Amino acid sequence: MEQIYHEATDRTPLVDFNFPEHHLLIQGESYPEDAAAFFGPLLEALRGFVYTPRAETLVMDLKMSYFNSSSAKALMNMFQVLETAAAEGNPVEVNWYYHPDDDAMEEFGEDFSEDFQHAAFHMRPLNDGGAA
Amino acid sequence: MGTLATDYYQVRHDLSDKGIIFSFVGYVSEAALVALGDALRKKMAVQETDANTAKRVFSVFVEQVQNIIRYSAERLDETDADTRLSSGVVTVGAEDGRFFVVCGNTIRREGLESLRTRLDQIAGLDKQELKALYKEKLREPPEAESEGATVGLIEIARRASEPIEFDFTGIDDEYAFFCLKTYI
Repeated sequence: MEQIYHEATDRTPLVDFNFPEHHLLIQGESYPEDAAAFFGPLLEALRGFVYTPRAETLVMDLKMSYFNSSSAKALMNMFQVLETAAAEGNPVEVNWYYHPDDDAMEEFGEDFSEDFQHAAFHMRPLNDGGAA
Repeated sequence: MGTLATDYYQVRHDLSDKGIIFSFVGYVSEAALVALGDALRKKMAVQETDANTAKRVFSVFVEQVQNIIRYSAERLDETDADTRLSSGVVTVGAEDGRFFVVCGNTIRREGLESLRTRLDQIAGLDKQELKALYKEKLREPPEAESEGATVGLIEIARRASEPIEFDFTGIDDEYAFFCLKTYI
């Protein structure tokens, strides 16, 4: 599986799905009207990769500062895929980075964390000057 | 009858009196959403609005405008979400130190009752119930998006400081006007 890389735009986040390195990153803001069109191909690529047996841990870093409700749905769909893969024995780690003053992003992280049992989910507060 | 300048000064004056920061009437697109949202954020930054409040206002603004883009019955381009133009009214203002967002658009009458039912349900929930319903809607598969607005409406209600207000008025046999006001 090849790397997928999208620069951030006005309303879509930076995406770096580095499958060869087992590292995925989504960072910034996400509020495209048609979130399914943006995230659909990413979800498909993730599905194509994540269920193949592997020993290495797949790490997904999220450094979001804002996303709309349809992007929240797309993130949840990705998390469901990651959790299923982890339940099947493919190790997954999800890191949720947020600014400690950002109530909404902290709450979203806590909400999402409740859906993970097999994948490791970590809340990662950023220091001042952090990237999110 | 006034002159060009007096007429439009009066319009501006009337809007300012109601605490309106900006009001946009006409066709909105994704590009217009980004531009208006940018102006709104800069205005709040200059006013030194609390960062969490500013984020809530922005979030409500985005969901409301995207509801217009997606669901207005007056649309110019049905095909591409990026270039779709949908007619509506977007107003952002402040009353007694609280921000509000009002959006309005034309809807088809046959969709009115189901929208009213969903709004009634959402307006009656407390914050914990809204959070639980939001999670439930997120977990549903993407195909279950026929009621796509629901997650957006719940997001709006979660960021609001009091229950959302909404209203409808008939236009003709086929269409009605829908309006939603949110205090943040």
